[in-house]
Amino acid sequence: MVEDDCIIKSQYYIKILGGLPMYINKGLCIKCCACIPYCPMQAIEYNSEKKQVEINANECVECEICKNANVCPKDALIMEELKWPRILRSQFSNPLVTHPDTGVPGRGTEEMKTNDVTGRFKKGMVGMAIEMGRPGTGTRFSDVEKVAMAVAEAGVHFEPYNPVTILMTDKETGKLKDDILNEKVLSAIIEFDMPINKTKPVLEKLKSVIPLIDTVFSLDLAYRLTEGDSNLAVKIANEAGFTVSINGKTNVGLGRPLAKEE
Amino acid sequence: MTHTLHRNGNFESLSNDYIIFAITAQTVNAKGSARKFKEFEDIVLKYNPINYGDMKTGNMFNIDISKIQEGYRDNSIVHAVFCDEDTVAKVLNELKEADLGISIVVSGILDRVSECCHEKGIKPHTIEHSLGIHGRVDYLPNDNVLEISTMCGHGMVSFSLIEYLSEQILKDRITVEEAAKKLAKQCHCGVFNPARAESILRAMTK
Repeated sequence: MVEDDCIIKSQYYIKILGGLPMYINKGLCIKCCACIPYCPMQAIEYNSEKKQVEINANECVECEICKNANVCPKDALIMEELKWPRILRSQFSNPLVTHPDTGVPGRGTEEMKTNDVTGRFKKGMVGMAIEMGRPGTGTRFSDVEKVAMAVAEAGVHFEPYNPVTILMTDKETGKLKDDILNEKVLSAIIEFDMPINKTKPVLEKLKSVIPLIDTVFSLDLAYRLTEGDSNLAVKIANEAGFTVSINGKTNVGLGRPLAKEE
Repeated sequence: MTHTLHRNGNFESLSNDYIIFAITAQTVNAKGSARKFKEFEDIVLKYNPINYGDMKTGNMFNIDISKIQEGYRDNSIVHAVFCDEDTVAKVLNELKEADLGISIVVSGILDRVSECCHEKGIKPHTIEHSLGIHGRVDYLPNDNVLEISTMCGHGMVSFSLIEYLSEQILKDRITVEEAAKKLAKQCHCGVFNPARAESILRAMTK
């Protein structure tokens, strides 16, 4: 049974935050603190004044990692139905949730993983993904918007089925819906493609916005392998001051039917 | 999604870390593909992967493997983790011969994966490079913690859990092997490499 203060809080959260965030039932919690290290946002804390374990609702990204770890001996971690815009936290943070707009579990798209059959990244084109908040830091959509708007100035084409693109009010400028900007998620991926010769100006725009954000991002680029100049995108990235990692992903081309080349 | 990309580490550490996974395109060849994942499983499990899992059901450390085998769906993404490129080459060769028609992706050191493909007469189609981490890198933990955490691309393995478990190892409350398994449980898809995690945890706690 949820204690009275939780009920009062829940009315506040439903009205103000759009649903009841993950919370700890204080009547059940035995303060063993087993859940605390599992939280990637360090949003679970022991409040020594109140002598209670609490979740900071502003920092919680609704990933359910604490609950799914099954370390609470009393099942005191409670998740109830989330409403807009807070439900975005769950959709972008819990990979067990299949995103309603992509049909794919997780927070991105199939991107290069199925490029052998979809032909999404064609010869001469480069796909880029900027995963805001990764690794392990999380991001507000306000920072996602800053980066999206910066790269949009270089004239990129945002992936229409990407969950971040769907939240844009203007896909030319990268502007996001105003009511989501303070929502925090574990990560959010800005995805787009462009002709290979736009890679350098986009990377320059990206560098210019780095001092303005309060989180990290992981950056990647993907392209169809071609004879001869398959390392061109890597050379451009190096010229723009980005170091290319030795490891990466290779779609080995065994999918069928193979996408038709233009 | 890039959930197997951006794994941090040097050449020596990454040379024991390869993921082979199968996926179908929801708009092209997904319909009826669940049985293809079973065929994929039949091949990869012969080579004793260090981890195995399906995004839709879980991994071999947090669910009985029979549940994974019963749970394949048309939008599954099925992963197997291996520690050496010789095995990767053998698995790729069998997958090529089986001609399952589903997309196969290998994550790992790109030059090594390219050699595996070349050796087995496979022509890679598309490549994805990591260009590193940028922004407030001062928020990040030390390299060892980062190497372990980035083995789960969905961020399910928190920095604080790794730090907590390394403290528990130092206090002799848990073994390195047990800690690595606890971490592997967190990564639902099964792309976490517990053998590599053991190696890093040993370095952290010696």
